[in-house]
Amino acid sequence: MNPLVSRERQTQALLALEDGTVYRGRSAGAGGEAFGEIVFNTSMAGYQEIVSDPSYAGQIVTLTYPQVGNYGVSAAAMQSGGLALSGLVVRDMCREPSNWQSEGSLPDLLRKSGVVAIEGVDTRALTLRIRSAGAMRAAISTEDLDPKSLVARVCQAPGISSHNYVPDVSTKQEYVVPAAGERRFRVVAYDCGEKRGIADGLAAVGCETVVVPWDTPARRVLALGPDGAAPDGVFFSNGPGDPTQVGATAQAARELMGKVPVFGICLGNQLMALAAGATIEKLPFGHHGGNEPVMNLLTGRVEITAQNHNYGLVFESLGKIVPEESGGFAEHERDLRAWSERHVAPVVMNERFGRVRLTHVNLNDGTPEGVQFLDVPAFSVQYHPEACPGPHDSAYLFTSFARLMAGDADCLDIDVREGRRF
Amino acid sequence: MPRRDDLHKILIIGSGPIVIGQACEFDYSGTQACRALREAGYDVVLVNSNPATIMTDPETADRTYVEPLTAEAVGRVIRKERPDAILPNMGGQTALNCAIALGESGVLDECGVEVIGCDLDSIRVGEDRELFAKAMGELGLEVADSGFAHSLDDARAVAARLGYPVVIRPSFTLGGAGGGVAHDEGEIEIIAGQGLSLSPEHEVLVERSIAGWKEIEMEVMRDAQGNGIVICSIENLDPMGVHTGDSITVAPAQTLSDAELQRLRDYSLAILEKVGVATGGSNVQFAVNPTDGRVIVIEMNPRVSRSSALASKATGFPIAKAAALLAVGYTLDEITNDITRATPACFEPSIDYCVVKVPRFAFEKFKGTSETLATRMKSVGEVMAIGRTFEEALQKALRSLEQGHRGLGMDGVDDLFALGEKDLEERVSTPTPRRIFHVAEALRRGWDVARVHALSGIDAWFLGRVRDIVAAGGRIRELGLAGLDAPTMLAAKQMGFSDEQIAWLTGTSAEVVRALREVEGVRPVVKTVDTCAGEFAARTDYHYLTYEAAPVLGAVPAGEHAEGARPRVMILSAGPNRIGQGIEFDYCCVHASAALRERGFETVMVNCNPETVSTDYDTSDRLYFEPLKFEDVMNVVEVERPQGVIVTLGGQTPINLAHRLKAAGVPIMGTQPDAIDLAEDRDRFSRLLDRLGVAYPPSSTAQTVDEARSVARSLGFPLLVRPSYVLGGRGMAIVYSDDDLSTYMSAAAHVSPDHPVYLDAFLEDAIELDVDALADGDECYVGSVLEHIEECGIHSGDSACCYPCFSLSDAIVARVRQITRQLALAVGIVGPLNVQYAVKDEQVFVIELNPRASRTVPFSSKASGVSLARCAARVMAGEKIRDLGLPPEDREVGYFAVKEAVMPWSRFPGANVELGPEMRSTGEVMGIARSFPEAYAKTRQAIEYRMPERGTVFVSVCDRDKRAIAPVALALRGLGYDILATRGTAKTLRAAGIECEVCRRLSEGHPNAIDEMRSGRISFIINTPHGHDSRGDGSRIREEAVSRGITCVTALSATVALVQSLAAVRDRELDVYALQDLR
Repeated sequence: MNPLVSRERQTQALLALEDGTVYRGRSAGAGGEAFGEIVFNTSMAGYQEIVSDPSYAGQIVTLTYPQVGNYGVSAAAMQSGGLALSGLVVRDMCREPSNWQSEGSLPDLLRKSGVVAIEGVDTRALTLRIRSAGAMRAAISTEDLDPKSLVARVCQAPGISSHNYVPDVSTKQEYVVPAAGERRFRVVAYDCGEKRGIADGLAAVGCETVVVPWDTPARRVLALGPDGAAPDGVFFSNGPGDPTQVGATAQAARELMGKVPVFGICLGNQLMALAAGATIEKLPFGHHGGNEPVMNLLTGRVEITAQNHNYGLVFESLGKIVPEESGGFAEHERDLRAWSERHVAPVVMNERFGRVRLTHVNLNDGTPEGVQFLDVPAFSVQYHPEACPGPHDSAYLFTSFARLMAGDADCLDIDVREGRRF
Repeated sequence: MPRRDDLHKILIIGSGPIVIGQACEFDYSGTQACRALREAGYDVVLVNSNPATIMTDPETADRTYVEPLTAEAVGRVIRKERPDAILPNMGGQTALNCAIALGESGVLDECGVEVIGCDLDSIRVGEDRELFAKAMGELGLEVADSGFAHSLDDARAVAARLGYPVVIRPSFTLGGAGGGVAHDEGEIEIIAGQGLSLSPEHEVLVERSIAGWKEIEMEVMRDAQGNGIVICSIENLDPMGVHTGDSITVAPAQTLSDAELQRLRDYSLAILEKVGVATGGSNVQFAVNPTDGRVIVIEMNPRVSRSSALASKATGFPIAKAAALLAVGYTLDEITNDITRATPACFEPSIDYCVVKVPRFAFEKFKGTSETLATRMKSVGEVMAIGRTFEEALQKALRSLEQGHRGLGMDGVDDLFALGEKDLEERVSTPTPRRIFHVAEALRRGWDVARVHALSGIDAWFLGRVRDIVAAGGRIRELGLAGLDAPTMLAAKQMGFSDEQIAWLTGTSAEVVRALREVEGVRPVVKTVDTCAGEFAARTDYHYLTYEAAPVLGAVPAGEHAEGARPRVMILSAGPNRIGQGIEFDYCCVHASAALRERGFETVMVNCNPETVSTDYDTSDRLYFEPLKFEDVMNVVEVERPQGVIVTLGGQTPINLAHRLKAAGVPIMGTQPDAIDLAEDRDRFSRLLDRLGVAYPPSSTAQTVDEARSVARSLGFPLLVRPSYVLGGRGMAIVYSDDDLSTYMSAAAHVSPDHPVYLDAFLEDAIELDVDALADGDECYVGSVLEHIEECGIHSGDSACCYPCFSLSDAIVARVRQITRQLALAVGIVGPLNVQYAVKDEQVFVIELNPRASRTVPFSSKASGVSLARCAARVMAGEKIRDLGLPPEDREVGYFAVKEAVMPWSRFPGANVELGPEMRSTGEVMGIARSFPEAYAKTRQAIEYRMPERGTVFVSVCDRDKRAIAPVALALRGLGYDILATRGTAKTLRAAGIECEVCRRLSEGHPNAIDEMRSGRISFIINTPHGHDSRGDGSRIREEAVSRGITCVTALSATVALVQSLAAVRDRELDVYALQDLR
C-alpha cells in the first residue's frame, strides 16, 4: 500500500543482506525480526501457495510480481497447516483483496502466522542482486532499524546449510490420507514438508497414503502396507533446506529402493540421489517459479513446470554413461541440454542401483530435472508436478507413479495433456 | 522437428488498410513474420494493399505486391510467383478471409499451394457460432448460449431454456437499437416486443446475459509437437459488455487466483487443440462470473490478433515471429528467446510490472453517433503503459493518450465537481470513453467501492486502486508543495502522478515540481522488460521508467541503464493512432531508426503505442515504452543523453514538444523549433510568402465572432476556417454564411483555447497537390508531387491522390517544385517537409507548409522508389542531399500509383457520411497500374473487394454539380448502367437527353431511394451534398448505403475517377506488379 494512501502511519521495516545492502520499507505482516536465506520467486500469482509451502522454511522469499495479495487468501489454497517461511518481501501489498473465494487478506494471514514481511522494496533491483550474487543470508526487522547493526547481525547468523529444517515442518504423527474415489494403492509418504497439492495428487490416482514423519525407519514403512505387508509404494516429499542435513530420510530411501516402487519430488529427488551415492550441488540462486521449461526426454515434449529448489543433483555423479543405451554417446555433458537437443535420454551405470536414466532436463540452464532407475522401480523429479501454484502440465507424473506401482516399465511415457485434463 | 526443407517460397498475406478493429498491429506481426522467415532462409512474397506499412517496404520481403486482397489479385500473384505455401494467420481476419476465398477459387489446388500456420477448417470452427459451441460442448465447456426468436412466444421459450436475465438484440437494426436486458417474462414482453417491431426481419437474438462478468483473455501458442504455452493473461477493467478493443485492459490478470488462472490455461490449450490449431498463436476469451468463478468461453481467434500484439509488447515475447517459425516446422524449444539469447522460447513469460492498455477514441469526429461503448469496437487506437503498479501504469497510460489529461484527472483539464449526483451515477453506469474519470470522481466524493461496483460492474480491486489514486491526490493537495518531502514525493511518483498533476494539486508549476524533485533526488530509474522477471540477464534494451527507493546502505543500482558505445540519436514517435496521425508516422520513425543504425548511430526510440513496428524491441538499439509527454521524454533524455532528438518524423506529437525540449537545452536534430514556428504561425508564414512573392489564398485570423465577421466581409464567402496547430483538420470547416461562421466560432473555442482561428478564402473547384520533399539547408529535393482526385475543401487525408500528376502540365509541376525549393530554404528546413498547394486557373497557391514528415511519406516513398524518411533522417544527422545519390525529380516513371482513403462510417451510425475539410479516414490503400483509371480501380477493389459492375446507379447531386453530372451519367449509360435520380437531378439529365428513372423523396412515400436500396437494386450511389442539406434526405440515404455496404461517392471529382475506372476494368484483368520490378 502506497504510504500516501494509508490512514495511519505504517510501521517501518528494514531488509538487510549479508553483502551489506539494506532497503528501508514498511511492515506488511507481523512485527519482529526474521533471519533466513533470501531467494526470489517469479510466479505472477499463487502467493498463498508459496507462503504456505513448507519448503521455504529458513528462507526469506522475494516475490518478483510487484502487487501481491490482490485476490486474498482462502483455506483451500493452503499448502500446509501454517506458514513455514522466515519472511516475505514484496513491492506493494494489497490490504483489500477482491475475489469470490477470498476469506481474508494476505497481510492478515502473515500477521496471524507471525511471519515478518516488508513492502516498498525495489524487488526487481533486489532480484537482480540475488541473481548476480547468489542466494544469501538476510534479515527483515521491524525492531532493529539501524542498517549497519542489522547487516552485522545478518553476517553473524548461521547459514541455511547449518540446520536441518525438515523436523520443523514434518508431521510428528503418522496419519492417513484416503484415496479420492476407489482405493487402488496403499502408499507411504515421507513427510519432509509435503505440500497438500502432492497429497491431493496421490489421492487423485487412487493412493491411500500413510503420511509418516521424516525419520521413520525403513523397516517400519515396510510393514505399513495392507495387513502389515509392504506398501504398494513409497513417496519422498519436497522439503526445506540442504538435503545433506536430512540423513535419516536418505538412509531410508537407500533401504527402500529396490524393495518397493519409489517416487520422489524435489527434496525427495535429492534424497533418492543421495541414496544412490550422487553428489548434490547448490545452484547459485535456485529455481523458484512457475514457468521453467522441462523436456521429458522420453516423449520429447516440453512441460512448463513449477519449481522451488536451491539444491540439485549432479547427474554425472550417478555413474558412467552406458553408450549403447545412450544413443551411442559415451561422454557426460556438462550442459544437459546436449541431450534434449539430441532427443536422447542417456543412461548411466550406478554402483548401488544399476542403470539410471536421465528423463527430464531443464531447458533454461541444462540442469537435471528427473531420473528413472531402470533396474529398481523408482523415479523422481526435481520440480513440482502438483504445481500449486503453477501449470498442470506435469500432473501426469502421479499417473506415472500409479503405473510404476502397477508394474508398467514405460511409466513416464505419458503425454503432458494428460495432466491438463479438466 | 526442424524447419521444413520442402518449402522454399512462402506467400504472406497482409491485413489491408487500417480500419477500426484491424490496425497496424498486423503490420507489426506481418513484418516480424517476413523477417523471421527470410532469416530462416525462405523466399518471402508479400501481398498487402496498404502502402503505409513497413511490411510493404521493398526491403522487407523478397517480392512485394501492393495489390487488392481479393482472390483474383492474390490469385494472379500466386500464378506469377508460384509459392509453395501461403501463411494467412498474420493478417487478421482479412487475410483469413482472403485465404478462404483463394481456397474456394481453386487457385491453391491448381498451383499446389499449401496453407501453413492455420487450417481452413479450424478457421471455420473458430468463426461459426454453432460449430464452436458444439466443439466446446464436447470439451465440457460452456459458451454463452443464445437462440433466435421470431415471436414473443419464441422469445419466452428461448429465455426459459437459457434462464434469466437474458439480453435481447433485434437483428439488423443500426447500432443494436431496441435491445436490452430482460430479467423476467414481463420484461421480455416489453423489450422483445419492441425489438421484434424494430427489426426489419422481425427477429431478435435472445442471449444469456453475462454482462458484468470479468473478461479475461489468454494469449496462447502451440507447436506441432503439441507443446503449449501461455504468453500472457489479460484482464479487462471494463466487464463483459464492452468490446475488448474498447476496454481498458491490464496484464497480467489481477483479480484471479492461481487456481483460476491455471484452469483457464488448461481450457485455452485444450480449446486450441479442439479447434484444430496445429501451430501458432491464438487468443481465447473467457467470461468469469465474479460471484462464483463460473467460466464461459466467449470466442477464440486462431491467428495472431490485436491482443497478441499487446501481449508481445507487454511481455517481450515475439508471438508473431514465433508463430511464423512454428508454421514452417520449428518447435518452441528450437526457437531462442531473443531477449535472453540463452533460454528457449518454450516457456511462459513472467513479468514484474503491470501493463495497462487504454483505447483512444475519435467520437469528436463523428458527431451524432452515440458514445456508449458496446460489443462493436469503435476505438481508433490505443496506448500502453508500463509501471511497477497498476496505479502507476494507469496514470501513465491516461497521459499517453494525448487528450489533455495528465493522468487520472486532478489536472484541471475538466471539472466534474459540478456534476449532479444523478448525472454522475448515470455516467458511472454507462461505459463510455471517459467513464474512468467519472468513476474516479465518484470515489473522490466518497461513494464507497461497493456502490461504484454495483453501478459499473468494474471489479472492486480496480476500484480500490482508483480510490487510492484519488486519495493520494487528496493527500498531496493537503500536504502542499512544502509538505512534499523526498519520501512523499517518491510515493506520489510511484502512484504515477505526473509533475503537472502534482503542480495542479499544490498550486504551482510543473517546472517547480521537477526542480524540487531534482533537489530531493527523486528521479526515475530505468527498468527492463526481459520476459523472465529478472531471472536471466537481458540482452535486449527494452525499457521503461519508474520510481524506486534506492537502498539505504550498499550500492545495488536501482536502474539498469548501460552507457552505449556509439553516438546516440533519440527518435520521438507518434503515440496512439488517431484519425489524422496514424501508422504513417510510425513508418517514418522506423525508417529513420534503420537508416541511422546503418550509419553507425545507436538509436533510441520513445513511443507508447503497442500496435506499432517502432515499439518492436529490435527496431531500434534501445526502446523506451514511455508517454510522449514533456516530463517523460525529458526523463529519457536525461538517462540517455542523446546527441540529438528527432522530432519531425512522428507527426504533430513530437513537434508540439520541440519548443520545450529546446528550451530545456535538448539538442533538436534537423529543422529547429524556430523554423517550425515560422511555418506553423500563419502570420509569420504569410509575411514570408509575401516577401518571396508566392501566392496564397487570402487569409486572416480571428479570436472572436465579431473579428471573424469582419474578416468574412473583406475576404468573402465561402471561407475555410480552422483552429491553429492541429493535425488531421480537426475542427476544420467550410462556411458559407454569417450564421455558419457564428456557430463555428462558438464551437471552435473548445478546440484549442490558446490559439486563434484561421480564416482562408476557400478556392472552390481548385486542384489540390501534396508535395513531399526534403531539404538540407542548401538544397531541396522534391520527392513527389501528388495530385489529389477530390477538389480542395476535402481534407487531403480523405482525398485520393495520384503519383505522378495525371492532369497537370509539366510547367505547373515544375513551378510547384520551384516554390517548394524556395520555401524550404527560406523557412530553414533541415529534414522532411510537406507543402500543400491549390491550383486554380493555372495559378499555384500555397495552402500550408508542414515542417515535418507528412502522412503521405510512405505512399510517396513507395510510389517514387525513394525512401524519403530514411533520407530525411540522414540529412538531419548531417549528410547532404547531393551525397545521397537520389534520382532526378522529373524522371518519367511509366506507371501510376493511386492512394485512396478508407472511411469508418459503418462504425458510427448516426454520423454524417460526407467528405469534408475535417479528416475522418482511418487508413489507406494503394493501387499501381499502367494508367490512372486502372490504378484507381485497384484502390476501389482493395477497399470494397469488388467493383459494382452492373445494375442501377442512384444519382442525386447538388445544384453546383448539376452541369457537370451529365457527361458522367452519359458514360454510365454507355457502360450499361440504369440510372435512378432524384427529381432535380433527373431534370438535368433528361435535358441532356439521358434516360433515367425518377425516384421519390423520402417524404413522398414509397418506393423511395431507401426502399430501392433495401430491395438490392442499387449497385452504387452518387450523392454530392451541399453544406446545408446535411440532415436532409441525402444524409439518410448515405447512412443507409453505409449500413448496407453500398458504395457511396460524395464528390463529383471522385465520381469521374470511379466511372473511368469502371470502364478501365470492364471485361479485363488487371496485371499485378512487384515493387522490386518497378525500380
